[in-house]
Amino acid sequence: MSNYFYVAPEQLIKDRAEFAQKGIARGRSLIAAIYDKGVVLVAENPSASLNKVSEIYDRIAFAGAGKYNEFDRLREAGIRWADSTGFTYSREDVDGRALANYYAQHLGDMFTEGQKPLEVEILVAQLGNKLRPTKLYRVAYEGTISDEPRFAVLGGDSETIKTRFALGEESVQPLNITLRNATNALAGPERTIPATDLEVGILEDRGHRRTFSRLSDDQVSELLG
Amino acid sequence: MGLPLFSAHGDPGPSFWHFADSAGLTSAPNATPSDFTHATTVIAVRYQGGVVMVGDRQATGNYIASRDVRKIEPADHFTALAISGSAARAIELLKITQLSFEHYEKMTGSTLSLEGKANYLSPIIQRNNLISPLIVVPLLAGWDESNLIGRIFEYDGAGGCYERFDFATIGSGSPFAEGTLRLGFRSDLDREAALELGALALYEAGDNDPSTGGPDFVRNIFPMMVTLNEQGFQELSSDEVGERFRVINERRTESGGVAGGALR
Repeated sequence: MSNYFYVAPEQLIKDRAEFAQKGIARGRSLIAAIYDKGVVLVAENPSASLNKVSEIYDRIAFAGAGKYNEFDRLREAGIRWADSTGFTYSREDVDGRALANYYAQHLGDMFTEGQKPLEVEILVAQLGNKLRPTKLYRVAYEGTISDEPRFAVLGGDSETIKTRFALGEESVQPLNITLRNATNALAGPERTIPATDLEVGILEDRGHRRTFSRLSDDQVSELLG
Repeated sequence: MGLPLFSAHGDPGPSFWHFADSAGLTSAPNATPSDFTHATTVIAVRYQGGVVMVGDRQATGNYIASRDVRKIEPADHFTALAISGSAARAIELLKITQLSFEHYEKMTGSTLSLEGKANYLSPIIQRNNLISPLIVVPLLAGWDESNLIGRIFEYDGAGGCYERFDFATIGSGSPFAEGTLRLGFRSDLDREAALELGALALYEAGDNDPSTGGPDFVRNIFPMMVTLNEQGFQELSSDEVGERFRVINERRTESGGVAGGALR
C-alpha cells in the first residue's frame, strides 16, 4: 500500500498557481484594446504562421498568451463551438460571453482537477452591434473571468505593460494611436519592436458579415507611421 | 453544446462536416419521400476568364410552391453552389458547404483549393443520396485562384465528382438547356457571349420544361445570373437580367414562337 502525504489545499492551489504563472511569464505579452471604430489585438510574435490572434466568428476574436499548443486547442474548440451554435440556431445567437464562460469553466476544471493547470491566459473580444455591447473578456489560467472595460493585457509582466499602456490611452482613440501606444507599451522604454514582429488583428465593421481582419506588415508599418 | 475539445487522436480536424456528424448535428435521412422532384434548371458555362451561371427561380412540387427561390448561392468569395433535388436536403447541403469552407479557413488560416472544395462535397452527397430517397444534386463552379481559371464541377447521384471543361446543367430542364449549349458553345466565349448563351439556354428550358420557371414579366421575377471570375462571385441585377430576357422574348415573338433555325 502506498502512502500519500497530506498537502493542505492552500498549498496545492499556491503551487499550481505558481506553476501556471511561470509558464505564462515565459511567453511574450499581448494587448487588446477598444479604439474608436472597433477592437484591436496586438501581440509581439516573431512567427508569421503560429498565430496568437485569430478569428472565431463574425464579431468575435480570440487571443492567447502562454503555451502555444494549449491555447491553440482552445482556439479550435472555440471556432467549433461558434460554428455549430450558429448552425443550430442562428448567426446572431453566437455570443462572446457564452464562449468566455465555457473557456472559464474548462480552465477552472483543469486548474483544480487536471494533471497540471493550463499555462495560458486567453481573451475573447466581441465587437458590439445593436444586440450586444463591445466587450473584452479575459480568462486567466485558473478560470477567473474578467470583463475589461477598455483594454486588457495578457502574458508575463502584464502589470508593468498595463501601467505603461494606460498612460497614453486615457480615452478611446483612433486605430493608429491605439496601435502605437500598444506597441510602445509592449516594447518598454529600452527597445522598439519592428512591424515584422507584431501580429495585429482587428474587429471592425466594414460592411461585411465577417468583421475580423489581420493587418499585414505593410499596413502595420503605415499605421505606426 | 459544451466546449468541443478533443484529444489529438479523436480530433475531427478542420472539417466542419465530420465534426457536425460526430456531434449529431447533421440529420440522418431515412424517411420515405412524399414527392421527389428535381424540377429546376441551372446552367454553368465556362468562358475566357471565368464562369457564368444561370438558374431559374421556381420551386415545384405538385404545384408551384414558390416563384422566387434562389438556387445559386455563394459558397465562399470565389465559389458558387447551385442546387437541385429535394429542397430541404439541398438547402442543408448549401448551409453545410458555406459553413465548412469558412470553418476550414478559420481553423487552418488558409483557404481550400477549388479542387479541394469540389472533392469535399463528394462523400456528403454520396451519403445523403445512398441512404435517403431525398436526392440532392449540386453543381459547383468557381474561380481557381492558383491556376487563374474558372472551373466547373458536376456530380452524379452517388456523389461522383466530374470536372467539365465546357458547360454543365442540372435539373429537369437540362435536356433543353443542354441542346442550346451544345449548339452555341465555343471555347473562346467572352463574358458577354457566355451570359447571352446561358440566358438563351435557360429560356429554352423554361419554354419546354413545365417545372422550370422562365422569365416572369408579370411579376418581374427573372432567373438568377452570376459570374465567377477574379473579382469573385458577382450577381447581375434583376434589371439587367430582365433586359436580357426581354430581348430574347421579343426576338422570339418576331419569329412566331420558334427559334427559327438560328441560335437566337
